[in-house]
Amino acid sequence: MGGKRWVKEAGGIWEGSDGASQSRGHEEVSETVKEDIGMKQHWMVRAISKTLTLIPIPFHSSRASFSSPSSSFALKNVTRSNFELSLADLRRHVRDSDFVSIDLEMTGVTSAPWRESFEFDRFDVRYLKVKDSAEKFAVVQFGVCPFRWDSTKQSFIAHPHNFYIFPRQEVGAYDPSYEFLCQTASIDFLAKYQFDFNLCVKEGISYLSRALEDAARLHLHSTHEDELSESPCTTKEIKDVPLVRMADILFVERMRNKISEWHDDLLQIRNRRSSQIPEDSNDSMNQFQTIFFRMRPAIKLNGFTSRQLRLIKSVIQKSFKDLAYIRVNGASCLEQFIVYTNSRRDLELLMKEVKGDLCKEAEMKIGAAIGFRHVIDLLSSEQKLIVGHNCFLDIAHVCRKFVGPLPSNLEEYVTLVQKNFPYIIDTKILLNASNVLQLKMKKSSTSLSKAFAILCPHIASGVSSSGLAPSSVTVEVQVDDMRSSNWNSGAKHEAGYDAFMTGCIFAQSCSHLNIDFSSHSMLMKEEKLQKYINLLYLSWSCGDIVNIKTGGTTTESSAFNTFKIQPTKILFPNIAIIWGFPSKLKAREIKESLCKVFGLTSVTSIYHLDRTAVFVQFNKSELVSDFLELKSRLEKKNDAISVFHPLSELLEGGNTRAASYEVYKEICGSPISKVLFADQAEAVGINLNTKLLENKVQENGSFANSQSPIDTKTADIKQPLKCTSGSSKFPKGEMLDIVSC
Amino acid sequence: MPPFPMLRRRFLCTQTSNLSLFNQKPVGRQWPIKQVTKSNFSDSLHELKNKISDSDFVAVSLQNTGSYSSPWHRLLPFDTAEIAYLKAKYAAERFQILQFSVCPFSVRASNKLTAYPFNFHLFPRDEHKIGMPCYSFSCQPSYLTSMAQEDFDFNVCIYDGISYLSRAQESAAKGQMENPVSSGYVAQSPSSRSVADNVFVERIKSRVGHWISAYVLVNSLRKLILGGEDYGLRPSLNIDVCSERQVQLVFEMVKSGYENVVPLIIPAKGGGAQAVRVVLTSSKEDRDLLEKELQNMEEEQSKRVRGFREVIDLISTSRKPVVAHKSLNDFTFIHSKFLAPLPSTMDEFRSSLHSVFPNILDVNHLMKEIGPLNKYTNVPAAISYLKRNFFAPIEIEIPQKASVEESKNHGHNVVRISELFAKLCFILKIAPETETHNPDGPSTLKCYSNVLNLGSNSFQDSNEDDDISAWTHNPTKISINNLLFLWGFRSGTSARRLKNLLCKSHEKLSEDVFDVRLVDKNCAVVVFWKTGLSEWFLTTIDSGDGELRELAAEGLMAVGYEAYKRVCKSEILGADLADSLAEFDREASEAHTEESAEVYWNNELMINLDDL
Repeated sequence: MGGKRWVKEAGGIWEGSDGASQSRGHEEVSETVKEDIGMKQHWMVRAISKTLTLIPIPFHSSRASFSSPSSSFALKNVTRSNFELSLADLRRHVRDSDFVSIDLEMTGVTSAPWRESFEFDRFDVRYLKVKDSAEKFAVVQFGVCPFRWDSTKQSFIAHPHNFYIFPRQEVGAYDPSYEFLCQTASIDFLAKYQFDFNLCVKEGISYLSRALEDAARLHLHSTHEDELSESPCTTKEIKDVPLVRMADILFVERMRNKISEWHDDLLQIRNRRSSQIPEDSNDSMNQFQTIFFRMRPAIKLNGFTSRQLRLIKSVIQKSFKDLAYIRVNGASCLEQFIVYTNSRRDLELLMKEVKGDLCKEAEMKIGAAIGFRHVIDLLSSEQKLIVGHNCFLDIAHVCRKFVGPLPSNLEEYVTLVQKNFPYIIDTKILLNASNVLQLKMKKSSTSLSKAFAILCPHIASGVSSSGLAPSSVTVEVQVDDMRSSNWNSGAKHEAGYDAFMTGCIFAQSCSHLNIDFSSHSMLMKEEKLQKYINLLYLSWSCGDIVNIKTGGTTTESSAFNTFKIQPTKILFPNIAIIWGFPSKLKAREIKESLCKVFGLTSVTSIYHLDRTAVFVQFNKSELVSDFLELKSRLEKKNDAISVFHPLSELLEGGNTRAASYEVYKEICGSPISKVLFADQAEAVGINLNTKLLENKVQENGSFANSQSPIDTKTADIKQPLKCTSGSSKFPKGEMLDIVSC
Repeated sequence: MPPFPMLRRRFLCTQTSNLSLFNQKPVGRQWPIKQVTKSNFSDSLHELKNKISDSDFVAVSLQNTGSYSSPWHRLLPFDTAEIAYLKAKYAAERFQILQFSVCPFSVRASNKLTAYPFNFHLFPRDEHKIGMPCYSFSCQPSYLTSMAQEDFDFNVCIYDGISYLSRAQESAAKGQMENPVSSGYVAQSPSSRSVADNVFVERIKSRVGHWISAYVLVNSLRKLILGGEDYGLRPSLNIDVCSERQVQLVFEMVKSGYENVVPLIIPAKGGGAQAVRVVLTSSKEDRDLLEKELQNMEEEQSKRVRGFREVIDLISTSRKPVVAHKSLNDFTFIHSKFLAPLPSTMDEFRSSLHSVFPNILDVNHLMKEIGPLNKYTNVPAAISYLKRNFFAPIEIEIPQKASVEESKNHGHNVVRISELFAKLCFILKIAPETETHNPDGPSTLKCYSNVLNLGSNSFQDSNEDDDISAWTHNPTKISINNLLFLWGFRSGTSARRLKNLLCKSHEKLSEDVFDVRLVDKNCAVVVFWKTGLSEWFLTTIDSGDGELRELAAEGLMAVGYEAYKRVCKSEILGADLADSLAEFDREASEAHTEESAEVYWNNELMINLDDL
């Protein structure tokens, strides 16, 4: 989760220390500031001041080197070269395991600062932000760690695997979805932890999502059928290679003679019924090696240039009706043959056979291109309990990269996840939701390394298992033939090690919850876990939780999170978003000018999205439409009175735009990512424009009589109804505004 | 200084050629190219500056993380100059430069090339925590893979790459850097002070006065008691200010009232001033010293901020002709990363670029003088073509020492570009060395300069942009009005089959009046050799029930070139041209209803007004 954590850390500091020294952003604040896409401002400050501890980062010359003299060996690094073998082992380990922990490192988390998660994000908006992240960034490392309970040893056996993956396209027509984004800060973060980018690009395992595999197979079959339906001789256009050079003409002539010589010899043999194969008469005939291709006499063409081969092909097609030019994939390269066929039927048969072979070969290639997805398929088909730490984004990446395009709304997404991974447990939820564990954690931060250090000190420090507290779960690590019960590679932010830590935290948590590993029931059926299973943080900082089983969403009650300030109730219909205002205006000034118009208590809160945009929450939802209408009226008038209007400061420059919350959602759903929100809105607006107008046309009929900008009273009543119903319809007020730009 | 510098050079040269002989690598020669990362940047910069001023030309070459997101985003034969620019802009804004090679070179005695290649590794690290130079960038995996095959070292780039800020970013960043600034502040005459101003000034004045006298007293007492001396550290006082006006007043007051006090602005986060710090110096000399120190500090600071852009500025200020291979692509990248965001039109881009690089030579364009060389799109292929067909012996001398170890020696392309340029000059009988001593710049070369190469078409001025040569092998100019984009056919249909389909559909569409080419698997372009036919086709197929009913029934859709232009201008080009065209087509038809809706709406408004 490298990238992710970076934003969580540095990004968090940045926001939290608003105004103070922002240069601290790059210090290693370990992961006290915890994991969510982006951070909220106020609780952040507290969290930092409370737990700002600098944990020295062990720097290794190589990531996989040893950190402590106690038994330490590198975890299993898997690249292209050892993937096949490792996969076979992993299959066995996963099948035997009680649960499998995972962790991902990606090239970035947010494609723009305003795409970080905000307090004012509704569930559906949060999903859109995560979806955007999973669509744009690449996964470069995938940690998988199966854990198996060994009842004779009374210990878990863990097999940490660290897969390097890279979105190399192996099959199919060029697919733009392979292109990926890198967030500069995340790449820098990975570099700080000595991530080997060369290994990733050169040796990373490629993969093919199920959707792309289906598409590739479909394409293959349709072209195969196409070719079968056309008889090979008629439609195959004989592309003439223009004979411009003298050398070409001579070559063609020479070839024609050679081939016809060979052809005649062949016929003579046939006629004479002699088994004698014509002997190569001279040296140049060495290039014409007579062999048998699919039981037919043939010449294998060796040592010709591609241009010469093209010329030969055209000679054959033009001058020899019973010879076929065939190209097949040989052991190492393409091999070309001239094959003699008895009849036209025989020729067709031959062509069919060759094409069938090609087709099979292509199928094999598609199969081989699945690559790392085999691991995902394995986890999915074995239906094991998947354990992650704050893993909503991780799961989204898994679905996007290995299953297919993500659906446009949270409900459909949840069913997609459920279908593939029926049992997921998030250790972060577990740690925050269970009172027992909260006590054990001493209310400290639930970041991965912090939780690991507190819950599993015996593993974190690498001391031997003797003399442990009885509640400590021992974990024995096995990598290939090496085993150790006090293993610690210490390479933090390496997916394999992070997955290992996550698994250890889970095992220890289960032990604290008095779960008996020796009982033969499966972990995911364990009653004591039912409260936590399949719950994921949509946003940890806001405590928004989604249930993967039901699709239901809840916000964590404050009882579990004593150090989080429960935000004031957010009413989305009451929110307007304003952007493009003069850059000198700060939240305070905006609030003041709005209050002058709508009353002192009219604005509940103002929140900066970035320096170009703010959310304004009014105390009544009608005020949103009132504001939008007033704004467009002022802009239309453009007379002396409007200059003195309290809003004129806000509207100065003529670039100020405003819209209701639904437009914000629309903008978040766009594939465009501009760094500043105002630029983003403008870029999206080009496309939005017509859409809004479309809605306007539909609504014209409905509001024509009752609603006009002047007749605000009726509008007031109508507006809130519209805001709450359906997201695709845009309330009239915001349309007006977009039209005006 | 080695005793026999020439000897040593010679030795080095032979050594490299020997090495390559033994290695038998396909690349051929391994030239000693100076590899520059963060650690040796400032030294190399100095060296490069000297080499540039000693040389006649500067060749540049870029290694990017990608060039197009979809096949149709590449430059296509039927693209106008404007569209070629828009496509290049699209790529330059998304992808990132990882390596920038610069090679100052001279050609003497018509066949001796003396070159000093430098290869800079770049990474857009946010060194100053100001969210610049770039938040994120795109990568094309196939590009990275082929770079990896050439032993490109991504770790060196990312760990030790040099960062930079563009000119536009630098000026934007000035306010965000938290360093005291002394210069850049213009003292104005004490004009019309308000009462409040006077009160403020008096208060500050007395505060500073008290502070100074107290300090002098304490200091003399301390000297008396401890007998020590001050060393280095100067006392200072922070004065909080709340407006630009107050900053100005403090500066005026200090400058007029106290000779030995230096005022500094402490910038606030996000621009503006947070406070003014006044520093007490011991004497006039000390004050001058401090001011000089501050100036140096600021220069150091801005040097660090500019980072690699120093190199761009060096090349620009040298006014030497810049030699590039794919100049449109390279210079859109250079403009967007090191100068300013790319303007929306080709003309603006051209003039903006011209002000920075007045003389750009594109070797691709020079190649055109020799023959129809559209095929030779990469430098090695062009060189081997010249080798086969022309006698142009160029002796390359690289009189610098650098590692020739293959895995660490990158950036050969820039030397090849220099070589290609020298060969071309030789063949075209241009004498580069006399050219550059011409005060107006190279005169014969002048006619080749600043033609940004657009692959198959190049345009010196954009007034002919309505004509393009549609097929590379058939260079007849045709108006873009005769082009149509066609989609809605079954994916993977061949151009020939499409043409047959069209031929069969109507007698007007005979074999010889039009031609079809595929743009990608879902979209084709149709060119009509007769004017007027395309309009007929469009209106007929749009009406749906006309003579082209069968085509329309099969789902075939067509739009003119204008729609294509609009798609290229949009924010997201889209992966599939057919989809993007369809989207714009749909929006265009909706725009019609939109206008009427607007009228309707206004009518309603007026009626309501009357009702009131």
